[in-house]
Amino acid sequence: MSKCILVVEDQEDNRQIVRDLLTTTDYQVMEAENGEEALAAVAKQRPDLILMDIQLPIMDGYEATRRIKADPGLNGIPIIAVTSYALSGDEEKARAAGCDDFVPKPFSPRELLAKIRKYLPTAA
Amino acid sequence: MQAEVARLRRELDEALAQQDASAQVLRVISRSPGELEPVFEAVLANAMRICEAKFGHLLLYEGDKFRAAALHNVPQAYRDMWQQPMRPGPQTGLARMARSKKEFHIPDVTAEQAYLDRDPLRVATVELLGARSFVAVPLLKDNELVGAIAIYRQELRPFTDKQIKLLTGFADQAVIAIENVRLFDEIQEKSRQLAEASQHKSQFVANMSHELRTPLNAILGYTELIIDNIYGETPSKMREVLRRIESNGKHLLGLINDVLDLSKIEAGQLVLTLADYSLTDVVRTAFSAVEPLAAEKKLAFNVELPPDLPRGRGDERRLTQVLLNLVGNALKFTDAGEVAITASSGNGCFNVAVRDTGPGISAADQEKLFREFQQADNSITKKKGGTGLGLAISKHIIEMHGGRIGVVSAVGQGSTFSFTLPITVKHQARPA
Repeated sequence: MSKCILVVEDQEDNRQIVRDLLTTTDYQVMEAENGEEALAAVAKQRPDLILMDIQLPIMDGYEATRRIKADPGLNGIPIIAVTSYALSGDEEKARAAGCDDFVPKPFSPRELLAKIRKYLPTAA
Repeated sequence: MQAEVARLRRELDEALAQQDASAQVLRVISRSPGELEPVFEAVLANAMRICEAKFGHLLLYEGDKFRAAALHNVPQAYRDMWQQPMRPGPQTGLARMARSKKEFHIPDVTAEQAYLDRDPLRVATVELLGARSFVAVPLLKDNELVGAIAIYRQELRPFTDKQIKLLTGFADQAVIAIENVRLFDEIQEKSRQLAEASQHKSQFVANMSHELRTPLNAILGYTELIIDNIYGETPSKMREVLRRIESNGKHLLGLINDVLDLSKIEAGQLVLTLADYSLTDVVRTAFSAVEPLAAEKKLAFNVELPPDLPRGRGDERRLTQVLLNLVGNALKFTDAGEVAITASSGNGCFNVAVRDTGPGISAADQEKLFREFQQADNSITKKKGGTGLGLAISKHIIEMHGGRIGVVSAVGQGSTFSFTLPITVKHQARPA
């Protein structure tokens, strides 16, 4: 069964880029536009990895990460924060919230895929 | 002869006492830049002492009333009278002084018309305080009445012209103090407004840079996907153009990042992430990032690293940014020869240098290099690109690590940019 990645991102272009990037791989993609949607999506279907944007409307990536990591059934899911260079201290804040790794924005799709493969090596 | 000496002696003593009184007032003025109360107290106390007065007030003129700003040597009942601002009767010395804006001397207030007319203020001074001789001098600013000093004696002894003149001097000092405080407040307010405006501007630039980056990220992301054949096999001709789009996009991104960094520095929002790092890794990262550029320009590109560099504590990402800036500049400006990165440690510090065989920089230009928006030669910006912010940002970053950055160069001799910073940075320092 192919691994499932939840992309939490409010920018349509960024979602599209990740979607297009992953169509050539064996990964399945789920999408959410904010922290609240992410929690709902995770409750519906447990993803194998989450790409979490930090600056999000309604509920930001820190809060969504904290809630997921507080759930014993979900805290094993690796969360890669996609942090913006614009905000200093994002990296520590992301780690403090419970993110396992981070990718600085602007992300290179190539590098993002390499990072994903580090956590989900079994897929093609 | 003896009488003459005694007179001179007396005059000298008086002059010294006056000097001393004046100096005391000035000391209080300079000690209390934002406060008037101590100044008024000092002015009144010294004026009374020099003029041999028994009691007195320093009054401020507001609207058409006088308000007591300092009262000396008066009983509580009289002080209570001055709880409220007062409008003295038209025949009083104060009112007449206010009208003429000149000193007003009454040798005997008990013979004054205002007393005979039973003016309440005059009655109070005579009957509560036992006033006899009176003099008031105006506080004038731009020939507008802003207050008065009024002093009294309990015995019938008119004030001398000299004493009145001295009193006028004290009144002038009070006016200067009032003006000082007003200017002081104004400057404080202005500087507060300025700081606020500057903060707004920096915040705006930070937000704007962020907004500029969002669409650029999409451009770079899609471009990379096309280059990587995600949308099908990309023809090599097209791939070449896409690489140019990518490299221009990355350049633009770098410029926006520079502006963003500087706005963060200006807004005091640049915060170092202090963690353990390897200087060797920093050097290698910078080296591999720009190696293709060196190869393209056919420059020798070398790294001299001792094998035993200790691990450091600092902001690895920011230090990499500084080294990339220095080595990027070196490669940009060197057309033939060599660029070398050297690193060493000693005396608790890391020393990192970037040496090039480029055109060199004149002493005059070296001074400007580390300032915002200053490249050695403005025409270079057009030819070689760059915001001229890189070195200013690097200087801030190194200084925030408690280090120093500098350049040794001469025209035609190449340049060596180097920085020194503590191996272990415990706290972020404020840049100079």
